[in-house]
Amino acid sequence: MATRRAFLAGLAAASLPRVSWAEVGSPACLAAGKLGDEFVLHGLSAVGESLFEIGLPARGHAAAAHPTEALAVAFARRPGTFALVLDCLTGKTRHQLTPPEGRQFNGHGAFSVDGALLMTSEVVAETSAGRVGLWETAGFTRIGEWDSHGIGPHEIRRLADGRIVVANGGIETDPNDRTKLNIDTMRPNLTLLSAEGVLLDQVELNAEFHQNSIRHLALHGEGVAFAMQWEGDKTEAVAQLGLWVPGQAAQLCPPPDTEAFAMKGYAGSIAVSRDGDLIALTSAPAGVVMLFDGAGEWLATHQRADASGVAALATGLRVTDGQGGVWNYGRDGLVRLTRNATQWDNHLISLT
Amino acid sequence: MLLRPLLLLFCCATPALADFEDTVKLHILPGYAAFAETTQALSDSAVKSCDAESLKPAFNAAYDAWLGVQHLHFGPAEADGLSVAIAFWPDPKGSGAKSQRALLLGDAAALTPENFPDQSVAARGLTGLERLLYPATPLPADPCALIRATTLDLARMAKLINDNWVNSYANTVLTAGDVGNTTYQLRPEVRQALFTQIVTALEFDKDQRLVRPLGSFDKPRPERAEAIASGRSLRNVLLSLQALRAMVVTLTPDAPLTLAGFDRAIKQATALNDPVFAGVATPQGRLKVEILQQTISALRDTAMGELGPELDVRVGFNAADGD
Repeated sequence: MATRRAFLAGLAAASLPRVSWAEVGSPACLAAGKLGDEFVLHGLSAVGESLFEIGLPARGHAAAAHPTEALAVAFARRPGTFALVLDCLTGKTRHQLTPPEGRQFNGHGAFSVDGALLMTSEVVAETSAGRVGLWETAGFTRIGEWDSHGIGPHEIRRLADGRIVVANGGIETDPNDRTKLNIDTMRPNLTLLSAEGVLLDQVELNAEFHQNSIRHLALHGEGVAFAMQWEGDKTEAVAQLGLWVPGQAAQLCPPPDTEAFAMKGYAGSIAVSRDGDLIALTSAPAGVVMLFDGAGEWLATHQRADASGVAALATGLRVTDGQGGVWNYGRDGLVRLTRNATQWDNHLISLT
Repeated sequence: MLLRPLLLLFCCATPALADFEDTVKLHILPGYAAFAETTQALSDSAVKSCDAESLKPAFNAAYDAWLGVQHLHFGPAEADGLSVAIAFWPDPKGSGAKSQRALLLGDAAALTPENFPDQSVAARGLTGLERLLYPATPLPADPCALIRATTLDLARMAKLINDNWVNSYANTVLTAGDVGNTTYQLRPEVRQALFTQIVTALEFDKDQRLVRPLGSFDKPRPERAEAIASGRSLRNVLLSLQALRAMVVTLTPDAPLTLAGFDRAIKQATALNDPVFAGVATPQGRLKVEILQQTISALRDTAMGELGPELDVRVGFNAADGD
């Protein structure tokens, strides 16, 4: 049956015209948000103008953009029971992805270089054991899964060469209500998989930081910059930023001690500028954005209420906030570009 | 049950009453001015004599003044980590005491006005000074130079914050929404910021000042209370509540449930008679501190439910629920 369904779905998809991003206004990034009581996904230009708006049935967490076609995959918040493949021209849902029995989406996903494969961060609901779900993208059918080699994977990033980095956040959650079950024993890790899902490398933090949940990733040189959320004693000063080049140890990048608590131990999103010179972290609970240089040296902390989304565009970093603001961000701080009636949600996703 | 809709209706009809000019002029500016004055007086006293006993009244006056503004975690106090350096607590690993010991035994050059601001935040400020004026064990060296450096640094930081508020940041807040104001492009952003300070400060009183010494029933942790040496643990909670109540009054005349919640908490704190929460080690004493903690917890929820809508703000969309 699965084969027949896949075949039919593939046939249906093949009959639809392939729409390029240029045909929907060449958005620079995607952002989910809330407008009144409605949830939406926007395509935004590099200066923060909304190019299209698509209704969502529930609050989204992050999106993944197809590399060439104007298709966005909107992931539900954890525990994720669905993801939608949205046609950004018509606004229609092309496909609804439902994880297999006993699996839940975990909020993020990534396409392969050629767009033929969608990888989704997932957990086995009962144990929070991590999986990378695999979907072919002609008809968006499930074709398999890989072990993420950790608990509670969150963000997945594809390196330029096709290898995959998974942030295994380490937190086992109740499958129904997200209650955290293993804070005392959690052990997050960063896992490098080949483009075929083979485990190539893995790194954990030093034992004293085992409660620093590695959740979000940005490409950085030969590796990734990663953002963490501290689940330990809030009075301990721990880094929210780390850098990892596969084959080496992870390097933590704490700010100076005057800034040690500025993020309230929480980084919600991370981005590295395309030239690699700047790294930005947001903390909505603290209402700040923190800027580092490309080596992870702290540069500045900027206050902005409910700032959460951050992405690197060709023209620099952008930050979005829960009041609808879109900001240009860099060494000169935050400069407002637009303010939309939509309250921007956790993540801002750049198109490459 | 009728109360909520009626209140909402009322507040919506009079939005102009809920605003922040008075908060700046009657709460924030006088608060920082008092902190600048008391820390200057403390520093002046230390120049005359660094005898601990004679400095304690000025130390406590400055600490009291800090509790009038400690909850304002935005603007000038957050620049360069000043608020962290003024009162570094909690410090579970004792890094302040370690750094201070190094300063007491080390090169005096670290104590000059040029170099001292670069020393560890954990070693400076009110919490650092408290360890010098109320030493639990004899200090390893004469603390006089370090006392003078710490008080001078406190006065410097207080003046810096006060000057920044007076000379520029008050105007930044008061001109929110004006063309060219890039910090606050809309007036509600200021109300949101102020509301957040109140909620966050109540959470700090509850989750840090009370929960840390409470520990668990099986393992109470009275030694983890704030400012035990100077006997200020309860006083800090009380003054924090009083300052927050005063701030609410300047924000709106229409938060009766919130004010009643503050009054209840302040009354309990005043009646507690356990200055350093040593009582948490006994079942009876523990119960009293737990009741205060629950009252502050309920007050925080009341403020969220009443004061937020009254000011037409809520805790941020992302701040409330990240991932």
